[in-house]
Amino acid sequence: MDATPAVRLDGVSKQFGDSYAVRDVNLDIEAGEFFSLLGPSGCGKTTSLRMIGGFTDPTAGSVLLAGEDVTDLPPNRRNVNTVFQSYALFDHLSVADNVAFGLRRKGVGKDEIGERVGEMLELVQLDGHALRKPGTLSGGQRQRVALARALVNRPAVLLLDEPLAALDLKLRRQMQVELKQIQREVGITFVFVTHDQDEALTMSDRLAVMSEGRVEQCGTPEDVYEHPASRFVASFMGTSNLVDGVYRDGKVVLEQGPALPVGRREGVGDGSSVSVSVRPEKIWLSDFEPGMSVLRGVIRETVYSGATTTYLIEVAPGVTLSALEQNTARARMEDRWNGGETVEFGWRPEHCLLLD
Amino acid sequence: MTSTRVTPAPAEPAERPGRSPAPRRRGRAERRPRILIAVTALFFALLYLPIGVVALYSFNAKKSLTVFGGFSLRWYRAFLHDDVLISSLGTSLKISLAAMAGSVLLGVALAIGLVRSRSRLGSLAGLIMLVPLITPEIVTGVASMLLFKGLGVTLSTGTVMLAEITFSVSYVTVILRSRVAALNPEVEEAAMDLGATRWQAVRLVTLPALLPAVLASAVLIFALVFDDFVLAYFTTGVDPQPLPVRIYSAIRFGVRPTVNAVGTLMLAGSVALIALALFIPRLFGRKGGLDILSGS
Amino acid sequence: MTVLNRSTRRTGRDRRGPSASGTRMWTWFMLPGTLWMTTFLLASLALVAVLAVGTTDELGNPRFGFDLSSIRAMADPAYGEVLLRSLGYALATCLICLLVAYPVAYTIALHGGRFKHALIAAVVVPFFANYLVRMYGWSVVLSDDGPVLAALRGMGLADGGTKILNTGFGVIAGLVYGFVVFMIIPLYAALERLDVSLIEAGRDLYGGPVRTFLFVTLPATRQGAAAGLVLVFLPCMGDFVSAQLMGGPDQIMIGNLIQDKFFQGQNWPLGSALTMLLMLALLTGMLGYLRRTRKDEAEARR
Repeated sequence: MDATPAVRLDGVSKQFGDSYAVRDVNLDIEAGEFFSLLGPSGCGKTTSLRMIGGFTDPTAGSVLLAGEDVTDLPPNRRNVNTVFQSYALFDHLSVADNVAFGLRRKGVGKDEIGERVGEMLELVQLDGHALRKPGTLSGGQRQRVALARALVNRPAVLLLDEPLAALDLKLRRQMQVELKQIQREVGITFVFVTHDQDEALTMSDRLAVMSEGRVEQCGTPEDVYEHPASRFVASFMGTSNLVDGVYRDGKVVLEQGPALPVGRREGVGDGSSVSVSVRPEKIWLSDFEPGMSVLRGVIRETVYSGATTTYLIEVAPGVTLSALEQNTARARMEDRWNGGETVEFGWRPEHCLLLD
Repeated sequence: MTSTRVTPAPAEPAERPGRSPAPRRRGRAERRPRILIAVTALFFALLYLPIGVVALYSFNAKKSLTVFGGFSLRWYRAFLHDDVLISSLGTSLKISLAAMAGSVLLGVALAIGLVRSRSRLGSLAGLIMLVPLITPEIVTGVASMLLFKGLGVTLSTGTVMLAEITFSVSYVTVILRSRVAALNPEVEEAAMDLGATRWQAVRLVTLPALLPAVLASAVLIFALVFDDFVLAYFTTGVDPQPLPVRIYSAIRFGVRPTVNAVGTLMLAGSVALIALALFIPRLFGRKGGLDILSGS
Repeated sequence: MTVLNRSTRRTGRDRRGPSASGTRMWTWFMLPGTLWMTTFLLASLALVAVLAVGTTDELGNPRFGFDLSSIRAMADPAYGEVLLRSLGYALATCLICLLVAYPVAYTIALHGGRFKHALIAAVVVPFFANYLVRMYGWSVVLSDDGPVLAALRGMGLADGGTKILNTGFGVIAGLVYGFVVFMIIPLYAALERLDVSLIEAGRDLYGGPVRTFLFVTLPATRQGAAAGLVLVFLPCMGDFVSAQLMGGPDQIMIGNLIQDKFFQGQNWPLGSALTMLLMLALLTGMLGYLRRTRKDEAEARR
């Protein structure tokens, strides 16, 4: 089938002097998907977005929109629109004029402009604020104006540069849901930049994790979370127990002595250095199944946080793993472990990842 | 001098009964610094006294500059019937308008270019803009005069205009530059994102955002040029001469009380213009712009 | 979609992406102003330098050439005396402006309350009144039978023979009146930015307001003061009106000499040489200031 991707970054790099902001990035973003670029600040995600939008020229590689090479086109000649982090509203224009700006540039007829602006303001629940100046609106409302101003042009791709970063947590959660709904409603490809992994996991159809200008991993949220491709992804996405050691015959021998049974792995040579990664919630503390790797350790700390309890288990001097248990209806208070107790714990082989 | 009255800073919290014996931190309004206030009051008195004297004696019925002999408008009437002074007034207005238009046009474009461009021309132009600010007016005046003479141009109202534009471009650039730098560059990008060309983005978004500052600096330039003496003195022809040059001759070679009247009128005009410049940002719903005056 | 040939697009060709057009446009924005300033400012300043080594013909008209007599004339002690006097007056003016401006700016910035803006506007507005008219009014106020001397006599601080006009004090008073606003504004800006809690902390640490001022306020506003000093010093050095209206023949400054050479004496090469001398004096001062601020900035960055 191989449909033409809505956005393709083909070997794209951006160099500032000697340093790379983005280095040889290859990405295909499918039409209609909600795609996130996720990473810590300075990882190149915003620069990548700006290159799709046409605000930054790549120093190498090509940007393709719907199969067409737009690398040399200025922003006003690309069929994409952007929601800026600062919203970048035109303060001297009313909300309606802000939203109508793009349509006027395109020479859309007056009646149609009025109609489409009205529809769009309704979609973002700002009907009734059409004549106000952006300066008089709240942060959330300004955000909606920015969204409406971009969406009204019916772009092939909507670029969003940390659009929720300036909002407080509660409003943020609410806007996450709304954004997702709006995306489904309009069916436009969204490329969403964020440094918040929760946001990326909950909103995206697919996401790319970036670090130091490169794409570390690209896939569905589940893919990326469950099967991190690198140490960086494993530690950036949620929490992970990461222990370094040397693989030898189905075990990883830690520097501190003990060996963790990890099962035989294809393609991992004896004697190669690896990192073992196990998510805390993938560690069992009881009711082990056959085929699990089971180990012993001493509970060093019990951290109760309402819905969950985290145990810090010392396996060897200096090697502590954390395990997370849900405090479900079936879990009983008296079953909880206390500091100093020796416990058995284990994991399914497929939940234990070996990373380079 | 009622304007020197200083009010205490925002009210301190009322003292609670049974406060601790520990030394209370001294709020800044706790003790009014009498000496400071006295110095400030004296400063304002001396600042306004000369202006007040000029204004007062402009209404003097007598010709004396030391004895007030009753209220009269005779010097204002004399000014209105003084054809030379009236034509000088017209000349000064023309020069100010030309300098305002020219310097705002050049300066606004320059300020936008300076902030946005990262080229070598930009840093060079930025340095050139600073030259008039660190050059005493007499040097600029001498230099302009030599340039015009060297080019064989007869000194006239036109040469004053050219010199004043040169001098004012720096002011406009410096004021506007900080404004442009304070603008969110994403706003221009947003306009381009929505289909505007780079030029349209400047015209439709950047210039409207700068409008208050542009108007304020235009008014400021008008006032500065209208009152400017040194540059005009060096670059003007013999007739007609700008008003400040006429005033200079009048003061140097036997003061006529008419100067008091003209001076008072110019004073009133300047105050009105400065008030206007300060007020313009408020018209656009922004905070008042004293920083326009200091250029910071 | 795979027909696109990767290798041709990926070779590190020199890109002229969309930003290049922007760069060109910004250049067009700067060009008229830069050309204008180059023609009317830089060229004219260069002309002053050129004419300083020019000559005059029999009629006194300036001629281009290479003649160092005007430059050599600068060695004349009479000019040195005027330059030194100008420097002295300008420095005295700077000092007095500093002494006047600090309390005024401090009072307005920290005790001005809600009248702060009105008060600072009241400082600035007279500055926009015509310089000549203001100086003229000031000379009336300071005249022998003016209110200032009358008040001083009333307090017993002056006798019948005391004069301000036609003395060096008169000239300095004129310069202070003319340019003190340039000191108040940067000081006010610096004091406004000053964190009040810093002063309060100073009170806790050092106790007295004088010590607090010396150890906290003064260092924190040093850059404002330095800017003010430059802003006052520059116009003072070039001024000729104050010496004319407030001083006498023994108080002339370098500005008066320049004016004289161009208007009365009609010796333009000599006038140009004097102008260059003035610029030299100012540039020396400016370099000192710049080195000072560079050092400050370097320290601040550490």
